[in-house]
Amino acid sequence: MKLRWKLRRWWNIARMRLRSLARRGRVERELDKELQFHLEQQKEENLALGMPPAEARRAALRRLGGMAQIQEECRDMRRTNYIENLWHDLHYAMRMLAKSPGFTVVIVLTLALSIGANSAIFSVIDGVMLRPLPYPEADRIVRVFFHSATYPKFPLNPFDFRDFRARNRSFDSLAGFTRGDMQLSGAGRPERFAGFQVTAGYFHVLGLHPARGHEFNTNDELPGNGRLVILSDRLWRSRFAADPDIIGRKIMLDSQPFTVAGVMPPGTDHPGNEYHGVAHGETVDLWWPFTFRGDPAQRGSHYLEVIGRLKSGITPAQAQAEMNGLIAQLAREHPDALEGWQALLVPLYQEIVGPTRRLLLVLLGAVALVLLIACANAANLLLARATARQREMPVRAALGAGRSRLVRQMLAESLLIALLGGSLAAGIATAGVRTLVSLLPAGFPRADTIHVNAAVFAFTLLIALATGMLFGLAPALQAARTDLQQSLRDGGRGSTGSGRHTRLRSVLVVGEVSLACVLLIGAGLMLRSFVNLLRTDPGFRPEHVLTAGIALPDEHYKPAQAPLFYRRLVANLSSVAGVRAVGVGTDLPWTGYDDNIGGFTIEGKKPAAHEEFHARYHVAGPDYFRALGIPLERGRFFTDGDSTDAPLALIINQSMARRYWPNEDAVGKRITFEDKPKEKDWMTVVGIVGDVKDKPDSKAAEMAFWWPVLQSPVYVNAMSIVLRGSSDPAWLVNALREAVRQLDPTLAVADVRLMDQIADASVSTPRFALFLVVLFGGLALTLAAIGMYGVISYSVNQRTHEFGLRMALGAKPFDVLRLVLREGIQLAVAGAALGVVGALALGRVLGSLLYEVGSTDPVTFASVSLIAIAIAALACYLPARRATNADPMASLRSE
Amino acid sequence: MSKPSDLIQGTLDLLILTTLALEPKHGWAVAKRIEQVSEEVLQVTQGALYPALHRLEQQGWLRASWRTTETGREAKFYELTKAGRVQLEKELAQWARLSKAVGLVIRMA
Repeated sequence: MKLRWKLRRWWNIARMRLRSLARRGRVERELDKELQFHLEQQKEENLALGMPPAEARRAALRRLGGMAQIQEECRDMRRTNYIENLWHDLHYAMRMLAKSPGFTVVIVLTLALSIGANSAIFSVIDGVMLRPLPYPEADRIVRVFFHSATYPKFPLNPFDFRDFRARNRSFDSLAGFTRGDMQLSGAGRPERFAGFQVTAGYFHVLGLHPARGHEFNTNDELPGNGRLVILSDRLWRSRFAADPDIIGRKIMLDSQPFTVAGVMPPGTDHPGNEYHGVAHGETVDLWWPFTFRGDPAQRGSHYLEVIGRLKSGITPAQAQAEMNGLIAQLAREHPDALEGWQALLVPLYQEIVGPTRRLLLVLLGAVALVLLIACANAANLLLARATARQREMPVRAALGAGRSRLVRQMLAESLLIALLGGSLAAGIATAGVRTLVSLLPAGFPRADTIHVNAAVFAFTLLIALATGMLFGLAPALQAARTDLQQSLRDGGRGSTGSGRHTRLRSVLVVGEVSLACVLLIGAGLMLRSFVNLLRTDPGFRPEHVLTAGIALPDEHYKPAQAPLFYRRLVANLSSVAGVRAVGVGTDLPWTGYDDNIGGFTIEGKKPAAHEEFHARYHVAGPDYFRALGIPLERGRFFTDGDSTDAPLALIINQSMARRYWPNEDAVGKRITFEDKPKEKDWMTVVGIVGDVKDKPDSKAAEMAFWWPVLQSPVYVNAMSIVLRGSSDPAWLVNALREAVRQLDPTLAVADVRLMDQIADASVSTPRFALFLVVLFGGLALTLAAIGMYGVISYSVNQRTHEFGLRMALGAKPFDVLRLVLREGIQLAVAGAALGVVGALALGRVLGSLLYEVGSTDPVTFASVSLIAIAIAALACYLPARRATNADPMASLRSE
Repeated sequence: MSKPSDLIQGTLDLLILTTLALEPKHGWAVAKRIEQVSEEVLQVTQGALYPALHRLEQQGWLRASWRTTETGREAKFYELTKAGRVQLEKELAQWARLSKAVGLVIRMA
């Protein structure tokens, strides 16, 4: 009941206000009529008391009181004055802004740039960090890893996974997946599509359901049952014309018939993966059943990525504790396999967004600093103008404007400026976001969810209003505080009260310079780190190298045939004009590989307790290293002679040589994977090649070795081809396609890339960060210079008289110049000093974004401070020159 | 903003609400009624009456409408809304508390 009254009352109030505003004329007339009625009544009463008519009216008026005043009070009661005043203030502010277009353009543009930059970065943060993941109840989804002292995040063994799935009580469902691209043949050129092998319940974990058909069950995981496939909406539409009867149809994948079991709806985002070719967003087109093959007792190989949906109410920590218990249980059943492993559960959101958090927060901090500087700058310019309008405020005050009314008027002006800036900023943000997204580093998570939307516009409006208040308040209060009599008496010369003005403005400029210094120091550190990164020897020579991937279908190529195929392909390509070297290998540098193998024996050595010998393993053909430009440090490369019947050969990298054969020559040393090796089981190190790190900013290279293609104990159906050309290798693409087609027309040539592109993409994150921080730093420095220029100009204007006198008394123009410059440089030095302190305090947040440069790098700190001071001095130079033009005669005359 | 000298604002609100509780009235009638009932002790500053009426209307305690008086003139009549009646109850209770308290203080002194 009560609530209904209240609602009704609010409705009434709103209606009344609206009426008072919208139908002002009518409301005014009614008020007039009401008061007239009152007067008439009173007059009649007076007449009845026997007053003469004229007297009766006068008495009635007297009794009522001042009509105009009552009307004004009634209007006040209706609260319409407030809004009308605001309208007047805005109107007036508009006229004032139009009067000084230069001032308006500078202040609005600087604000628009800074607010726009904030909105652009905010829209990235909104898309990547704030928007929930595209899965229902995504906070219950976790990634499951193994974890040990050596390997912080490791995939699981399939049979371990299967035991966890059967025994755990923490998960609604637990699923494994691993990359499994397949080649679709049929109409048109064969094409390889990104695919994943997934266990039963994979989509259940994600909370997604096929739009048609159904997801896999555990029966599909058995060997022989796995010829099923779920298609992406995109693939279904582009290659199967959105055939409504697709379920149950057979399609040819890797030259084998697969039955279509389902079609996923659009927007099926891949949750990300760590190993074997990382995919992001809506890039996966095929899902097919993971098959549990082999002997469940053999648990050495780890390659299954695991994801799970926790039961509601179970925390990741509880589930992790349960998993560790299960590991202990399994370790008793399989004594060797699980020793030293722990479970690691990471919430999916953290796994996807975590790596970009620091970068985004640093960028947000940088733009926030820019905005603060722009605020200080705007306050500064407004203060300067307030001084120019020194006589206006006292006159207004003298004419009866209350202090709060003056403050409101000034605030209306700054709000108008901020809103103008804000609306321009919305445009800048829209354009900026498009540019930002195109600049985003390769593989940036959730890049496709970054859009300028209502939230971004609301954010823009909000910070525009907040900045308006922030930079408007100080000048407004200052203006309203002016001493009325003093100022009026003082007239135009007016240097009174400006002492406080000048001090406030100096503080603002020092603040601007210091904030700009903080940003510039950050930019400087990132620049140095980037230069370090580019200077680092990658360990290979990416120029003129073309790479591509080929996967031979198991069905057509028996394990023994694949190496022969690649040998023929390499031979054919070598004879193409312009090809300097051709090689094949399982992996390419800087493309993210993580295949480790442990437990081998090194002849004559024993591993330390609780440790085993381990290293990355790869397979390479004879000219692989030469084609990539990886140097041979000792021994020899593989040759065609390293064939099936030749003694087993091995090439290792320097890291492995240093670690396992310190102070020895590793060439000629032997390792084996057999527990009781016969003579032929020993693999001999024939060469040592230079180190290549996993990523350009990795701390050190991992230990690694290579098997020759023909002797490889692992299947080599999928290989990367490396072609080094004598010049631009892009034209080699056709030669490569032709060579493949001649050998097998059903094969797809996938992932065609220049090694330059791979190298470029691998430094794209630091380059992206550097670009933005330098951009913001430049903006900050410009703003600070404008602020400095404003303060010094103003001070010179104030002191023209004084300078004239000094020159009349014999000071040289140079002395005056020095005087002014000194004032500016003092401010700049103070600002730079504060900035250095701030940067020292804040530098740590850059931490992991820096490469081989400390966050307190003295060279950067010193040079940035000097640059900031130099720019500030430059900004002072123009007003200082003007000071030297002060006319001594004019000063003397006015005295 | 000038305030009625002999009446604090809250009291004026209370008087207006009480006066209007019986029947809808126009401004002049409200002023007259307050003077009559209080036996001319409370002389309402007529000028202060209208801003108060408008404020109470704005706050949704009163509703106004134009009606014809017995003498055939058009006048703006005010009447209490439901919310206004609730407000009147509140203000009466508050007034009773206040006057009791003031009475106590005066007697003690």
